[in-house]
Amino acid sequence: MTGAEIIVEAARIWLWIGAGVAVLFLGFGMAMVDEDADGAFAFRPLLVPGILLIWPLVLWRWGRLAMGSDDWAWRYGPPRAIHMAMAVGLSLAILAFLLGGALVKQSWPADSAPQQLSAPEVSE
Amino acid sequence: MSVKYTPVQWNRVKYCYDALLVAGTILFLAVFLPLPPEALGHTRPVDPQITNARAFGACAFVMLSIILMIGPLARLDDRVLPLLYNRRHFGVLTCLVALTHAYFVLNWYFAFSPTDKWAASLSANTSYGQALGFPFETLGIFALLCLLVLAATSHDFWLKFLGAPLWKGLHMLIYPAYAAVVGHIALGALQSQEVTTFAWITAFLSLGVAGLHLAAALQARMSPDPQAHAVPDPAWREVCDVTDLREGFAQIAQLPDGKRVAVFLHEGQISAISNACAHQNGPLGEGRIVNCLVTCPWHGFQYDVRNGQSPAPFTEKIPTYRVRLKGSRVQVDPVANPPGTPVPPVPLSKAARV
Repeated sequence: MTGAEIIVEAARIWLWIGAGVAVLFLGFGMAMVDEDADGAFAFRPLLVPGILLIWPLVLWRWGRLAMGSDDWAWRYGPPRAIHMAMAVGLSLAILAFLLGGALVKQSWPADSAPQQLSAPEVSE
Repeated sequence: MSVKYTPVQWNRVKYCYDALLVAGTILFLAVFLPLPPEALGHTRPVDPQITNARAFGACAFVMLSIILMIGPLARLDDRVLPLLYNRRHFGVLTCLVALTHAYFVLNWYFAFSPTDKWAASLSANTSYGQALGFPFETLGIFALLCLLVLAATSHDFWLKFLGAPLWKGLHMLIYPAYAAVVGHIALGALQSQEVTTFAWITAFLSLGVAGLHLAAALQARMSPDPQAHAVPDPAWREVCDVTDLREGFAQIAQLPDGKRVAVFLHEGQISAISNACAHQNGPLGEGRIVNCLVTCPWHGFQYDVRNGQSPAPFTEKIPTYRVRLKGSRVQVDPVANPPGTPVPPVPLSKAARV
């Protein structure tokens, strides 16, 4: 099994576990932690892709909310300070990719003559 | 906005927004797909599947660029705020367009792969140590994965379940995703382009996104919300003078715990609430009071400034703060009350009595 196949297999397992979490959460857990979801079923299928992808986060939040250990004050502190770091990081990454891509780009004139890179093997 | 996750308050503007999104996407593809090969930098005709892949890829990049421009533009100019309202629909549509791009690529270039197509796309080129011939496909897969996470968690349920700060932190994946998309293009499609038009378009859009985000971040840093000043009584913090208050609007101040309070003057009375909307932590203090309710400038969520509660049938709540007047100075208790706690507003006429 190659490294790429291991990654794809791991992704498949991840999604299957997510499917199990989706069944449990949407079927039993959701209404326990969100009173607005109690009796509301039509929108639940929309949540399946999200649970498949971030099920560890779902389990963690589910646990915190079910145990009543969620800090309400934390919900009102937007992460504003990080925007500058994100803006600088994004700008540097864009510049690096644009310049890097332009620098390594190979362009050949239409009339370039063929160049022999190594001597041909001589068969005896 | 929704009540028990049933959408309400869908209006003509929002339907028009979504209709324009779909129409714009179809128009882009309709213009791109019939382009002659030479316009795309090809010396001979290319297979339709390749043209399809490039059309959807280009469309996704342009859409993603516009999405990322809306946020900082709205910070720099209030007139752009309406574009924020349905931006999540824009994001979901972009993800679908990007998925279509991936579908065409996988089912053309890896159609006859003896291994899984995704595994083949990851293993076809593993020259990670060099810039020339870098496996740009991996950058595209990373970006697609980020877009899938963002689209899949765009429903309002996720905001409530994860909490706005965590949700916003998760959705900051859009930054590395966009950088990866630029790398995917610069080290991929642009390497085989003899026509420089697309290189210039890519540079213009991506540098535009970077410039706008830097400008918005710089503006926030150069004109930060003022700090609430300490006063002799440690239980209170001074926010502003009554003369700074304007009917229907707020003064925003940062509290010692880093959170922001918005002090409103409404019908001659002063109330203080959290500056962070319960929905996406939008800046309530930058909104104004409409029909006795402060309206979030981002998505229109509303709260009564006297108790931090959304009007029925909505159930959103925000923290409130005790407020008092010391002479003409407005002071707040920096310890927030639990969301939805009623606090009697302080009439301006009491200013001289304290």
